[in-house]
Amino acid sequence: MSFLEVTKSLSQGFGVTLLIFGITLAVSIPLGLVITFGSMSKIPPIKWLTKFFVWIIRGTPLMLQIVLIFYGPGLMHWNFQFNRMTAVLVAFIINYSCYFSEIYRGGIESIPKGQYEAGQVLGMTKSQIFFKVVLFQVIKRIVPPMGNEIITLVKDTSLARVITVTELVKAAENIIAVKGIIWPLFYVGAFYLIFTALITFLLHLAEKKMNYYSN
Amino acid sequence: MKKKILAIFASAAMCLGLCGCGNTATSSATSSTADTTSTSGSTSSDNTDWNYIKNKGEMIIGITYNMPMNYQDDNGETTGFETEFTKAVCEKLGVTPKFQVIEWSKKEMELKAKTIDVIWNGLTVTEERKENILFSTSYLKNKQVTVVKAENADKYPDTASMANISIAFESGSAGEDIIKNDTALKNCKQINCEAQKDAMLEVKSGTADACIVDYTLAKAFTKEGTDYSDLKVLENIQNTDEEYAIGARLEDKETISKINAAIDEVAKDGTLKAIAEKYDLADALLVGGESTTSDVSAVSAAESEVSAVSSESTAA
Repeated sequence: MSFLEVTKSLSQGFGVTLLIFGITLAVSIPLGLVITFGSMSKIPPIKWLTKFFVWIIRGTPLMLQIVLIFYGPGLMHWNFQFNRMTAVLVAFIINYSCYFSEIYRGGIESIPKGQYEAGQVLGMTKSQIFFKVVLFQVIKRIVPPMGNEIITLVKDTSLARVITVTELVKAAENIIAVKGIIWPLFYVGAFYLIFTALITFLLHLAEKKMNYYSN
Repeated sequence: MKKKILAIFASAAMCLGLCGCGNTATSSATSSTADTTSTSGSTSSDNTDWNYIKNKGEMIIGITYNMPMNYQDDNGETTGFETEFTKAVCEKLGVTPKFQVIEWSKKEMELKAKTIDVIWNGLTVTEERKENILFSTSYLKNKQVTVVKAENADKYPDTASMANISIAFESGSAGEDIIKNDTALKNCKQINCEAQKDAMLEVKSGTADACIVDYTLAKAFTKEGTDYSDLKVLENIQNTDEEYAIGARLEDKETISKINAAIDEVAKDGTLKAIAEKYDLADALLVGGESTTSDVSAVSAAESEVSAVSSESTAA
């Protein structure tokens, strides 16, 4: 199998990797904020239920969650099952929303209380204070930790192969199993490296753009 | 503006809640839309066993990519001995085969969760597996071989000479049983791998001295033009007979008897033999050959009993 054929075959796997990455990010970034509101809620049952949920999700391996979401319904005779890709997406979105929610919470709690008080003095409503004053400062502060999670997500997508979604690593494993050649497994590293380099660069740009108070 | 954003979050949260309910309350409604493989609506009691497969018109075949059983050709099409055999049998059954790649270690879970209907991928019949899997007629003979680096081949004329080396194997494979029960091999440093190809990689990279894998896989892997062509297949193990069969859910007795009848048909009309010859496996066939026609008389039985095989018939 030539280098070009392997590249072509791996590119298809990389497409699946990008799809998992993109959809997970697009849904869990807003969903994480919903969970943050839950865990910061003034109503104790909502607060504790959310915290319990986050504990479960952060406390168990993502691999296990993928397996449970895909096989669970069938094993419990629910007459319902996700297709493989959907199961992967659901697991990734729930998992990453929980991690993001804690980053958001850290960001929100880092904003001094004085700004809320100042907002109240100026006659702003609670949501006005949050969306017009607090949120943008939070976004600026959480870019580095979010960058960490986003880069981790790029590589975590390889977990999708446990239910045989043919993402990048699985695509390489298939080539190895069929063609008896080994180097494609190491070649996938280049795909991840180039993609994370691109993301690192974008994150750097974002940080620079938001760095309007320094200099 | 702010209300809009709040509304978006609120509706997102509600969607999430609905998804949660969907699992239990509205299961039948969700399944028809969310899952392409499920049947369309019929939830009556006949939706089990063969009726379940017949109603949806396709049988989901659990496979892993391995030479020469099921693999992708240069155009990305699934092909191989088992692939063609499956297609021939499914044609007789009147259902469409849908090949689904699975993780071998999760094959029983895939069956029970109905994410696949049968395992058809060089599945070795073992006593342990009979507790979870209903087997069809055995159709192919297999044996375990050791694979070592070619330059070391002369050092290992028998298993006794392999004591105290490091040896790799696929966890849960027939090779593992051989190692555990052999007086010399059980003293080896054992390297438990996830798949047979990983065991081959251990030998190739020098992290293991030898590995025990299926003969069919070893032969396909070590041919010219692969990265493993500097390895050598040794037939120095005293093998007990080992057979491949199709695996279904324990309760799918009717499905297995239908499959057995279809195997009988493709064996008798020579289709199976032609496929086996194409993949150089003809002398390992257990059904369809002139000497083994008596074996297929048992095919209508739903039990997973393995038909007797004459021990002198040589494997591929």
